[in-house]
Amino acid sequence: MRPRPFFLWFFLPSLAAAVLLVAALGEIAQYAFRVFTPGSLEVGGFTLDNFARLARPIYLSVLGDTLLISLATSLFTLLLSYPVAYAMVRAKSDFLRSLIMLLAVTPLFTGEIVRTYAWILVLGSNGFVNTVLKSAGLIGAPLGLLYTRFGVIVALVQFSMPVMIIILATALAHVDRNCERAAANLGAGPAQVFRHVTLPLTLPGVVSGTVVIFAWTMSAFSTPQLIGGGKVLMISNLVYLQGLSSFNFPFAAVLSLLALAVAMGSLGSMHPFVSRLELKAAIN
Amino acid sequence: MSARLARGLRASLFWGAVALILVYMTIPAFVVLMTSVSPSELLEFPPSGFSFRWYERAFSYPDFQNAFVNGLIVTAFASSLSLLIGSAFAYLVDRYVFAGRAALEAVLASPLIIPHFTTGFGFLLLGADLGLGQSYAVVIATHVVLTLPFVSRTVYVSLRNLDPALERAATNLGASPFEVLKRVTLPLLRPGMVGGWLLAAILSLTEFTASLYVTAQRTQTLPVAMYTYVREYTDPTIAAISALLIIFTTALMLLANRCLGLRRILAIDVH
Amino acid sequence: MKAQALPAVELTRVSKNFDAVQAVRELSLTIQKGELLTLLGPSGCGKTTLLNMIAGFDVPSGGSIVIDGRDVTAVPPYRRETGMVFQSYALFPHMNVFENVAFGLRMRKMAKLGIERAVGRALEMVKLEGFASRRVGQLSGGQQQRVALARAIVIGPKVLLLDEPLSALDKNLRRAMQLELRELHERTGLTTVFVTHDQEEALGLSDRIVVMSRGEIQQVAAPLELYRSPANGFVASFIGEINRLPPARCRIEGDEAVFEIAGHVVLRARRREKLTIAEGQETHLFVRPEHLTIATSKSSAQNKVSCRVTTHLYQGAYTLTRVDAGPLGNLQLRALGGEAIAAAPIGSQIEIDIDLDEAVILAG
Ligand SMILES: Nc1ncnc2c1ncn2[C@@H]1O[C@H](COP(=O)(O)OP(=O)(O)OP(=O)(O)O)[C@@H](O)[C@H]1O
Ligand SMILES: [Mg+2]
Repeated sequence: MRPRPFFLWFFLPSLAAAVLLVAALGEIAQYAFRVFTPGSLEVGGFTLDNFARLARPIYLSVLGDTLLISLATSLFTLLLSYPVAYAMVRAKSDFLRSLIMLLAVTPLFTGEIVRTYAWILVLGSNGFVNTVLKSAGLIGAPLGLLYTRFGVIVALVQFSMPVMIIILATALAHVDRNCERAAANLGAGPAQVFRHVTLPLTLPGVVSGTVVIFAWTMSAFSTPQLIGGGKVLMISNLVYLQGLSSFNFPFAAVLSLLALAVAMGSLGSMHPFVSRLELKAAIN
Repeated sequence: MSARLARGLRASLFWGAVALILVYMTIPAFVVLMTSVSPSELLEFPPSGFSFRWYERAFSYPDFQNAFVNGLIVTAFASSLSLLIGSAFAYLVDRYVFAGRAALEAVLASPLIIPHFTTGFGFLLLGADLGLGQSYAVVIATHVVLTLPFVSRTVYVSLRNLDPALERAATNLGASPFEVLKRVTLPLLRPGMVGGWLLAAILSLTEFTASLYVTAQRTQTLPVAMYTYVREYTDPTIAAISALLIIFTTALMLLANRCLGLRRILAIDVH
Repeated sequence: MKAQALPAVELTRVSKNFDAVQAVRELSLTIQKGELLTLLGPSGCGKTTLLNMIAGFDVPSGGSIVIDGRDVTAVPPYRRETGMVFQSYALFPHMNVFENVAFGLRMRKMAKLGIERAVGRALEMVKLEGFASRRVGQLSGGQQQRVALARAIVIGPKVLLLDEPLSALDKNLRRAMQLELRELHERTGLTTVFVTHDQEEALGLSDRIVVMSRGEIQQVAAPLELYRSPANGFVASFIGEINRLPPARCRIEGDEAVFEIAGHVVLRARRREKLTIAEGQETHLFVRPEHLTIATSKSSAQNKVSCRVTTHLYQGAYTLTRVDAGPLGNLQLRALGGEAIAAAPIGSQIEIDIDLDEAVILAG
């Protein structure tokens, strides 16, 4: 093969970005092993104490909560996203397909603060849900939706749906319609076609979507922070408390590494189910 | 006859469910829009009147003004740098074989997996140790790294869809490698690059978690200023800004859908 | 008479390996100035690879390529002065017709006025006057084809390379374009290498045909010669339809060659001067379907063979008839019109006459 010109032009910028990111992650790894000096940003010598601290029940319960919320969120997201993705890919009219896509995908781009704030307005004790229910005479006192795990999950599911829908729609768009027609031709009813053909063919999308949302939710910050209001704690909130309130950089670093490990681990666990290529397509 | 009835029933059940789910997805945005034009400080449904007072307050609040300008500066630099680096990277991955390519790909795609607070915290520590503090440079670098995978992905898809015969044809007609790049490859990648740049700009403009770590009062972006405000006040000023952002992004999506095809940018379509 | 000009392209022992695949093997070929040479061969035989090596897109693993007296083996494609028309046309979608055709001239830094004139002439030559400002997406397949041609010829290439340029067109358009290509070639006199795997196209268009198989040249010859005297069994069965008879023993009797097939069938042919087959040697006989005829009771042909009709394939201008000729195997006849269908119903026993004077006779 002829040597390609301009290699460095294309290579060096990418290399610079990669070096920066690796350096930033390296900093975290480095801080994780340093001694915390209360009241000072300077860190001392090397230690493993920060990791030992993770074993305390309070931190373990936060970790448990985080996993639980992430799991619930990814499952509910899957359940609600599949029909929408299906409708978006299969709707007969062009207009309908575009409309569904616009409605389903736009929330992804308004940013987490706007979306979280919107849910405060919806879930608050004087919020949309309570006001509507009250004026309909269905409830007397407002329901406590804010500051609960339920509220956090309701908001997280809505945030996660656009990404899940994109992943599922991609999988659905790649299903050869003739496979479904063949099944129907062989006598399968619509439900059977879905169960035996469509669903299995989109299974890689389902698995990767669920795992991606799980990992995503693991790192959600503003939702538990604002809708949880301190009553629902996830790892992200702990990192913030430790890092930017107590300035305990070393322990915040340990928690960050933990979150990173869980996120990577969950995506790594996908390998048996989904080939590398599909994984890449899914997360990109 | 009953089969037809069952089919109709199933279809209406399905579409009913889809409609309900879409309502769930969009209701927060509608509530924000409604609240933003309500005259009262408390939330009420239906609103008792119509007023722009929260918009006025939002526009006159100095923190928001600064944060807005900061956000524009950061977004402008970050998305443009991201476009340059991401396009170069996509071309690199598509066209060159070299040692360490897989590693480079893995590192530059990793911000999709790494929690934003981890990335933000890492850049906070890096900035501090380099003596850059929470300056624009650190904020922009963070945003570039976070948006890079999206840009390189869209440009990469465009590159894959580029017919290699076109570049060969240009070469055959006497165009040097540089001329081919300038006159054929780049012009044909333009839709993909515009899409990638748009994606990067929106993501940078609305990025919050990592920005919370790497910005200081002086460099804070709009989402960070909004977060700070929400924690201190309960009035609907934020609703006004949120409404503007919702309208802005919706308009942008409509435009992107018309001009570039949302399905293409999001790489949903089969080719 | 003019002194013999330099050949346009000279390939000397050119090879190309893709990992384990030998796409082209030590191939030598001289392409004369002004000729229209066709590369013909089954899919995967290395035609595109050969073309790409001439254009410079593939670097040979061995051998040398000389264009117009200059060794270009190491010259990059953009300095080779070849004009290529791609199978997919590869028109630049972001430029209109004029810009597409002007591209090569711009690369050569031609002045604006010169470009306009040259592009105008080229478009006229491909009958696309008035299309200059069209977007290429608005053109039909045939029109795109012409733009691609104009774009390649406008630079006055040392050799025009066409890789299955007509394969994307429907049959009628294809015919029309073949005629136009031939006319264009006559008018421009450009040295042209044309790749196809359609043998009719090759026979109709070319000055000379190169038949390739598995990266090697099987035969280089003018169409007529190729059809009438293929150099080997591959060429014989690849060009046109042909019946291959079972191996025969040959002996010479006066001015006749006598072939004995399967022990007892005897066929005779007039002795040819060029025939270089020794007595008793095993030979292979190839007979075109048009040289088999249904024998009438009156005919006094010498090579009568009885057989049973199995199928008729009516083709309009002619009919293909398949017969089972016992020890000679299955044979095909071609007869003008459709009378054969009624004259020799399926299943009937008939006699056919094999005219061996036009047969291809190869030593085993
Ligand atoms: N880039 C490549 N890498 C590996 N093998 C290749 C490459 N290009 C061609 N080949 C192989 O080389 C051989 C010749 O290919 P080539 O494209 O020249 O055939 P062709 O005669 O043009 O066939 P067709 O009529 O199908 O176009 C084939 O076996 C093909 O698989
Ligand atoms: Mg080919």
